[in-house]
Amino acid sequence: MKKPIHKKIGQGIKKYHRHFTKYLYERDTIFATIWVFLFIIVLGSIPINLGIINPIKLGLKDFDFNDLSYSKLGKADLGKEKNKKFDNRIVIINIGQADRAGLAMMIDKAGTMNPKVMALDVLFYAEKDREQDSLLEEAFKRNKNLIAAHQLLPSGPDGDTIVTAGDYIKTASNYAFVNLFTDSLSSIRYYEPFEKDYKKKLYKSFTSAIVQAYDSAAYKELRKKGNSKTLINYSRNLSQYQIIPWETLMTDQADSSALAGKIVLFGYISTNKDDISDKFFTPMNSRFYGKSVPDMNGIVIHANIISMVLDDNYVKKLPSWVNWLVALLIGWLHMSFFVRYYLESHIWFHLVAKIAQVLSAIFFVWLGIYLFDSYRIKLDLKLSLIVIVMAVDVIYFYEAFAVWMHKKYHYHTVFHQKHH
Amino acid sequence: MKKFRLLLLLITVTSILSAQDNSFLVYSFKGNVSVVENKTEAKAKVGKMLNSGATLKVANGAAVTLICNEAAMFTIKTAGSYSLSQFKDSCATSTSSVSANYVKYVWAQMTKTGGSPGSDRKKFMNTVGAVSRSVNNIWIDPRLDTVNYAGGDFPLSWKSYADAKEFDFSLFNNGNTTNAAYKTTVSKLKIPIPSFASKIKAGNSYMWTASVKGEQNEELKVLNYISKEAYESFLKELKATAGTFENVAEETYRIAFMLEDAHYLAEAYQYYSKAAALAPDVPLYRSTLMSFKKDYEIK
Repeated sequence: MKKPIHKKIGQGIKKYHRHFTKYLYERDTIFATIWVFLFIIVLGSIPINLGIINPIKLGLKDFDFNDLSYSKLGKADLGKEKNKKFDNRIVIINIGQADRAGLAMMIDKAGTMNPKVMALDVLFYAEKDREQDSLLEEAFKRNKNLIAAHQLLPSGPDGDTIVTAGDYIKTASNYAFVNLFTDSLSSIRYYEPFEKDYKKKLYKSFTSAIVQAYDSAAYKELRKKGNSKTLINYSRNLSQYQIIPWETLMTDQADSSALAGKIVLFGYISTNKDDISDKFFTPMNSRFYGKSVPDMNGIVIHANIISMVLDDNYVKKLPSWVNWLVALLIGWLHMSFFVRYYLESHIWFHLVAKIAQVLSAIFFVWLGIYLFDSYRIKLDLKLSLIVIVMAVDVIYFYEAFAVWMHKKYHYHTVFHQKHH
Repeated sequence: MKKFRLLLLLITVTSILSAQDNSFLVYSFKGNVSVVENKTEAKAKVGKMLNSGATLKVANGAAVTLICNEAAMFTIKTAGSYSLSQFKDSCATSTSSVSANYVKYVWAQMTKTGGSPGSDRKKFMNTVGAVSRSVNNIWIDPRLDTVNYAGGDFPLSWKSYADAKEFDFSLFNNGNTTNAAYKTTVSKLKIPIPSFASKIKAGNSYMWTASVKGEQNEELKVLNYISKEAYESFLKELKATAGTFENVAEETYRIAFMLEDAHYLAEAYQYYSKAAALAPDVPLYRSTLMSFKKDYEIK
């Protein structure tokens, strides 16, 4: 009599379940897993920068698997979900190559269209043309809802003595810093909403000042988070914000209601890939690894930060110990599986290990992306993947060690004889 | 009875939901685009919100990008009058999840063949190690930047700085300047439009260029093939602006001038010729016709 299908499935699951768990609680499996972590810690503690001769390490230095979800999986594409929709709270005026007089006219023109808050993402380091400068000074003075940009210049041994620059035009009612606190070649993943100097004077970031003027409740939430670095949850690209070229604004080709009650950002936008002024690398870059060109103008990064804060769409980054714990569990399970094939079907060991590594990599990258996309939880699974990759090689080291210990001290081990 | 009521309620709710209005935001536009709302026509403006009842009028060479329900973006590039209710389909958004896209991406990457410069020369020979200064051996009169053509004999011409015997003429569909829709080699410094008129479709816009045979010319000019109806309607407008004491020759000359101004060069040529024939004793008409023929290489 044939066995029913559910029993067949049950037996199959049991059989493959054994592949993973047969050696799970063996001392050797646990010790080999610990060895993997020791290797990682020891290699990571070498004070010499070995990455200099390791192109993979150099390539992966600024790599995050979650970037895939932005650049290839459509996380930030225009769509009907709340955080993918066109953000009609923010309008970006593309200032192009307008000079200071042009900017003054733009601000005045936009001011007449009743925006709730305006913010100018331009730094003015020194005097340029007296006539133009005074026009801009007057425009700053007239438009009380304008937030102007300045740059923080930290100095002193602890970097907590702060002076500002880029605010040559002094007549704005409100100034906020536009520092991104990263080097210009790294992806902009984090920003600092606030900065304090040694006198505990609080400096607001450009986006924080805008949020404060636009939505006090969202600002309160932001303040609660403190001064720490905040992960930017990019949700929109250029087409999800209303971009109005300054010529369109000045020639009355923008609807009178287009700016009313909204956040108006004045900044430079260029879609020309050869023009990289005020452009940065972001996780939304279509090429998320290796060599690339900057993909997003600073003003669009600011817009994304504002959208995130207004929507309370922050990413929860899990602490490092969770990453280590997850890596330990994943590594342990894999080690048990690898040890089983190493001892019982050694001829298949390398093939099975390679297939398992590829499948695990695909699965755990998906898991990270899924948590990030669905629950806004950032779990760094890079360490887990390194553990899976290293586990195969460490088995050989561990086996040699176990056999030697067995011969010398009658150490009880499942590795009775050397396989290689 | 209860079930019937429930069904009725369901049908009502479904029909209310499906009949919900789509809203359209004018994201950007170029050229002449106007909006008809409540029987009032006004120029389109960026940031304007429209409902399904509105109508968009897109002129030749103009384009407008709309965002539907803040979730779907589409662009209208072809001239015409469009009721926004017809764009219901364009409001549909993709429902595929990040996880589904991940599976597709992994599969695509795993089955992708990279190719190599040795095996796929077409793909890998596009990278050049030089800058382009756009200096080419062909000069095309800026007056031919945009040509509106409805019919008649008229040549597209150019000048050559090189002592070349043959020239490549390429015609591209608007928006696709990679592959020429029509390409031919000519020995003269011009090509009559009727020689390739069968390859183009009225109402469409094309780009063209000419180059010394085997060379590239990145300078593209626009050729709008205007439908007879659109041209007749435009001509009617021109005729309607008649002066009080205008005789037939004067009117013909005026129309020729206005047609030339509106880039209807083939049609302007016909009217200049007609004006010169109607009043052969007026030197202005004759000299204008001669200049026109010289400028546009009409022999």
